[in-house]
Amino acid sequence: MVELQLIDWIWIIGFILVMIAAGILFYRLGKRSESDFFLAGRGLPWWLPASSVYATHTATDTPMWVTGVIYRYGFAGIWYTFFAAWCAISAFVSTRIFRRSLAYTQAEWNTLRFGGLGAEMLRGWISGWQVFMNMFILGWVGIAMGKVCNYLFGWEIWVGLIVFSAICAVYVLAAGYWGVIMADFQQGVIAFFVIIVVSVWGIVAAGGPSGIVTKLGEMGQSWRLNPFAFTGWFSGDFPIAWFLTMMVIAVLGGFGMGTSIDWYAEAQRIQSAKSVRDASYSIWWGTALVLIRNSVWAVAVLAFFVLFPNIQNASEYEMGWFKLGFDYMPAGMVGFFFAAIIAIHLSTISTHLNLGAMYFTHDLYLHYFKPNATEKEIVWVGRVATFVLLIGSFFYGLMMEEITSWLIFALWLMAAGVWLPNVLQVVWWRFNAWGYLSSWIANLGMSWLVVWILPSFGIIPKLPDYQQFWLLMLLGAMVYIPVTFLTKPEKMEHLVKYYAMSRPIGWWGPVKKEAERLGLLTKIDVNSAEVKL
Amino acid sequence: MRLIKRNWKPGEADDWTKEDWYVIVLSPLNYILLTIGFGLSVLMLPIGFILLGAGIILTILMHWIIDPKLKAVSNEYEEKQHKYLEELEKKVRWEKENG
Repeated sequence: MVELQLIDWIWIIGFILVMIAAGILFYRLGKRSESDFFLAGRGLPWWLPASSVYATHTATDTPMWVTGVIYRYGFAGIWYTFFAAWCAISAFVSTRIFRRSLAYTQAEWNTLRFGGLGAEMLRGWISGWQVFMNMFILGWVGIAMGKVCNYLFGWEIWVGLIVFSAICAVYVLAAGYWGVIMADFQQGVIAFFVIIVVSVWGIVAAGGPSGIVTKLGEMGQSWRLNPFAFTGWFSGDFPIAWFLTMMVIAVLGGFGMGTSIDWYAEAQRIQSAKSVRDASYSIWWGTALVLIRNSVWAVAVLAFFVLFPNIQNASEYEMGWFKLGFDYMPAGMVGFFFAAIIAIHLSTISTHLNLGAMYFTHDLYLHYFKPNATEKEIVWVGRVATFVLLIGSFFYGLMMEEITSWLIFALWLMAAGVWLPNVLQVVWWRFNAWGYLSSWIANLGMSWLVVWILPSFGIIPKLPDYQQFWLLMLLGAMVYIPVTFLTKPEKMEHLVKYYAMSRPIGWWGPVKKEAERLGLLTKIDVNSAEVKL
Repeated sequence: MRLIKRNWKPGEADDWTKEDWYVIVLSPLNYILLTIGFGLSVLMLPIGFILLGAGIILTILMHWIIDPKLKAVSNEYEEKQHKYLEELEKKVRWEKENG
């Protein structure tokens, strides 16, 4: 149990006040319009959304699962954190295409890419799913904070969940995305600095870099330094086949949109950047910082392993990085460390409060319920949606223990059977709304079969997750490819408008030819028909 | 034909060219080199410094290749953006498009 001194409380209260103030200062900008409340007016230089990408993806539970995989698999466990690398290609491909579409959300993009009833059904589905997902993530991350506070101070779990999310809601309600992005910048700087300081402290406590290498050798654990220490091609719980599958999902996923659950948050950062170039660099550098941070953490966790090598209980060693900070930091710095944990937490909470509210406000309320709403009304609906998400996240968080396996299953749905359709919708003109919709529906049924039902009847063995991915991809394709070819392509007029605006990569030959025939790809003239949507 | 084009006229940069493909290959490689290289460098292992150095050089090269093109894409696109936004607003609010 950690005991806080007066100096610690001064750090904590000071940091909280500065974070809230940073958000509230932008109250006047946030309330100006929908574009300000959800996209900061689309005018941000690349380093602001980049810091938000970094801050958002540094959540309270992140050091726990990074510690878990590194403690278990050594430095090679870093590949579990490499899913973020979808931004490598995305920054220069799907980010560029999405930024040019100017869509507020992925759901809106669906109606630009596809047309008619299918597109509207997709928009409704994706936006409803995202409102749910953001509430779920808020609950998930919130309860992680509850557990950290319980571990450190013995507080009841609900205290950490409710208190800090509610503090965060103050500036998100006041200033919307302006508050999120400005607080994220500050929180990102604090978090990065503290992660470095605590990690270095832990490394020094374990004998420094050379001490860690030497001690691992003496313990017969040198393999932990090898980033490619896999358990065989297909054998063991960390095979090369898993690594290659991860590389395909992460790296090639960058050609698509929505191939990673993080895409939906990044899409907001992409649209808030002031230009295509700023959008690309924000995604690339924000993610580079995430990956570098992970490698610093990995070394700190190796230090933790040297100090505490025989912990068998996962829930105990997953708290390793926190333990390094609270056990080894000098007096007076504990409050500083906890303030940084709050910063890490608030940056993630604020993003998902505003993101979920944007899907509700822009794609459900404004598009389906009240298309003639004024800007002032839209901002207020955004605030109400933010508040509802906050309250909903408390309920999700408190029942998270019971529903976690179900919700991980729901997340798996996002990754496996719809991974390829998420790429095809970007790169293949013939892929239509019905094909994409059918992939979601097929995946819902197939994933139940492959993950639970068929193994429980002994029809197929329980497969490792990477094999489930390939099987679900194959089974899904057997549905959505025929559906695509048995239904009509999107109207050429609709596709040409989308093409001229977004200039997608891939197989768009017939559409490009038609756009050229209509003279849409020649020169810029904002007043001519060539830019008409 | 030059291996890497760095002067882009308006309109040219909208097409996907070999410069984009160089970056599509380099970018994931840079992430791998920076991730492993940084971690192993913190451990003071020589291979770490080599990988990190390679990652930094290739990251600079990547930006050298793509930055002129991204600037050209951005400059041209921003001239159209205002008109596109107006049309998008109509679509969200179910207004009829003219013409």
